[in-house]
Amino acid sequence: MNETTILVATLALVSFGCGDSSSGGTGGTGGEGSAVAVTIQFAAKVGMADFECGEIYDNVGANSTSLQLDDFRFYVQDVELKNAGGDYVPVELDTEANIWQIENVALLDFEDCSELGNPEMNGVVTGTVPEGSYEGLRFVMGVPFDLNHDNPAVAPPPLNLTSMHWNWQGGYKFLRIDSGNIMVNQSNWRMHLGSTGCDGDAQAGGTTMCSNPNRVEVDFETFDPENDTVIADFAALVEGAPLDINQEETPVGCMAGPTDGDCAPLFDNLGLPFDGSEPDVQQFFSIE
Amino acid sequence: MKHLTHILILLPLILGAGCGDSDTASSSEAWVWDLPDTVPEPRVPEDNPMTAPKVELGRFLFYDKKLSGNQTQSCGTCHLQELAFTDGLAQAEGSTGQIHPRSSMSIANAGYAASLTWANETVVLLERQALVPMFGEDPVELGMANMEDELLRRMRDDERYPEMFAAAFPDQADPINLDSITKAIAAFQRQVTSFKSPVDRWQQRDLTALNESEQRGMALFFGGTNAAGVEDAFECFHCHGGFLFSQSSDDAGQVFNQKFFMNNGLYNLDEDGSYPPGNEGMYEMTGDPLDKGRFKPPSLRNIAVTAPYMHDGSIATLEEVLDHYARGGRLIESGPNAGDGRNNPNKSALLNGFEMTEQEKQDLIAFLRALTDDELLNNPAYSDPFAE
Repeated sequence: MNETTILVATLALVSFGCGDSSSGGTGGTGGEGSAVAVTIQFAAKVGMADFECGEIYDNVGANSTSLQLDDFRFYVQDVELKNAGGDYVPVELDTEANIWQIENVALLDFEDCSELGNPEMNGVVTGTVPEGSYEGLRFVMGVPFDLNHDNPAVAPPPLNLTSMHWNWQGGYKFLRIDSGNIMVNQSNWRMHLGSTGCDGDAQAGGTTMCSNPNRVEVDFETFDPENDTVIADFAALVEGAPLDINQEETPVGCMAGPTDGDCAPLFDNLGLPFDGSEPDVQQFFSIE
Repeated sequence: MKHLTHILILLPLILGAGCGDSDTASSSEAWVWDLPDTVPEPRVPEDNPMTAPKVELGRFLFYDKKLSGNQTQSCGTCHLQELAFTDGLAQAEGSTGQIHPRSSMSIANAGYAASLTWANETVVLLERQALVPMFGEDPVELGMANMEDELLRRMRDDERYPEMFAAAFPDQADPINLDSITKAIAAFQRQVTSFKSPVDRWQQRDLTALNESEQRGMALFFGGTNAAGVEDAFECFHCHGGFLFSQSSDDAGQVFNQKFFMNNGLYNLDEDGSYPPGNEGMYEMTGDPLDKGRFKPPSLRNIAVTAPYMHDGSIATLEEVLDHYARGGRLIESGPNAGDGRNNPNKSALLNGFEMTEQEKQDLIAFLRALTDDELLNNPAYSDPFAE
């Protein structure tokens, strides 16, 4: 909270990466006082327990299953804080010192034991906002469309992790939680979420729309960036979902396929429509 | 993204520095396609021009088991040249032993596919498609997920590759990267073309190219009247027409989107048009019940050497394929897949069944066999450089 010296100009230099074709629009934090550093804390939990990679958790899901969890990662985009006037202000992400962030997307990584992961972990989003007081938070779990459908083979960190790629539909897994080891054909349960129903246009060189974007909108009216932590709770994600039962001949767990009924309760808990449903707001994320 | 864009205005001078993304046409001579006059050139992405060194690198990568996590498989494991780059299996088997729901497709003329793989309209570029078998997790194919650094290490440590990558990507200071791997493999695949079958020679006015049975079969294929007196009885070319013998084609001059998926009545599990779970075609992408059983009609080129047939390899021979279409859909009397595909509500309106004499059947099969391009199966330029 004391790195107030990060200059807008410095951020600008760093944010400018290779292969980024986005342009247009205006914005920025200049002109209304100095930008101050802000850190948004995230944590992964399973009910009351902190998430520990490789740990077995009891009594999860509709059938009180015991499950070992081996992966827990997700992307967030468009992190915004609500100021005293009730306006949402974008957090300009620190993409220089923080390799977990690029443009307006960040990877939160709570695994250090997955055979498809890495030892490094990240539980924060860092950036700057105009000086002021903030009392609310909103963000989206996902990767912005342009980045999501750009060439992943040239993507910068944190988009260059092939275990987070979602190549069958283009783009990235916005969320991956795994139990088991797919490399030895042993998968107990997993949730991989990304956009589905994406088109492909050879003339345009790629995807122009996805019928199921599957980005999760998260909005907390009350949030104190100094003291609060955003909790991603596996138990809340799988509430009502029978984890010991899998729809026949579908991937174990949910790979976001629109025909995989195992996804229905999970999508509901994420506030995402599934097979025409009209879900309530997401309950995966909460504030503590 | 809009939050950062003000920055771009401030720093125009830095633009372009160090962004070695575009391997613009290098100094080497222009690529010459080996194509007959009857066939257009394939679409080539601007950022991946064809060059001989790149194609040769792509050939090595395509056949190199270093591209699988456990180094047991290469792309060529499921795409064998002698089988027109298929594997003869009903369903492919990945490097960890996981069985793929689908049958390996030929890569011959893949550079012309309007969409790649059996039922996925998202994947339209060979460069992107290459990432699916390498890094896909469901199913695991080459099993390279999370091993991208290891893959690049294997390339750098190889005695051959550093030089080959440098030759293929001369504009790049550090050419061994994931992007150049996918580009080289795509360039190799793009030039694996197959237009030298007897039918091609016939279309180029070599009247000795097809015998009488093959000619009769060709006439029936392209809308001829059958012995029962029905005009265009077989309707083959409506889905399998054009230079690819698949309507799902694209090329450098094509301005229309020709992606094409249809239901050919293989299954009807519940009178609702359902296909066996886990293999339901476009429905798996869209969730729209009308997409149940919709798959891309594959090219019929080299079809005689790519058995078994259909997306799941569930028909063993060409004779049985014709019987299936003659009936207007497949009847499965018992078992988990029981149902009459003829009544599938999503079935293409073109598949109404037809009467077919034994002679007509043999003529059609003779024609289909004449779509085999022996040069494709034997061309050293497409062959496995590691095979000795």
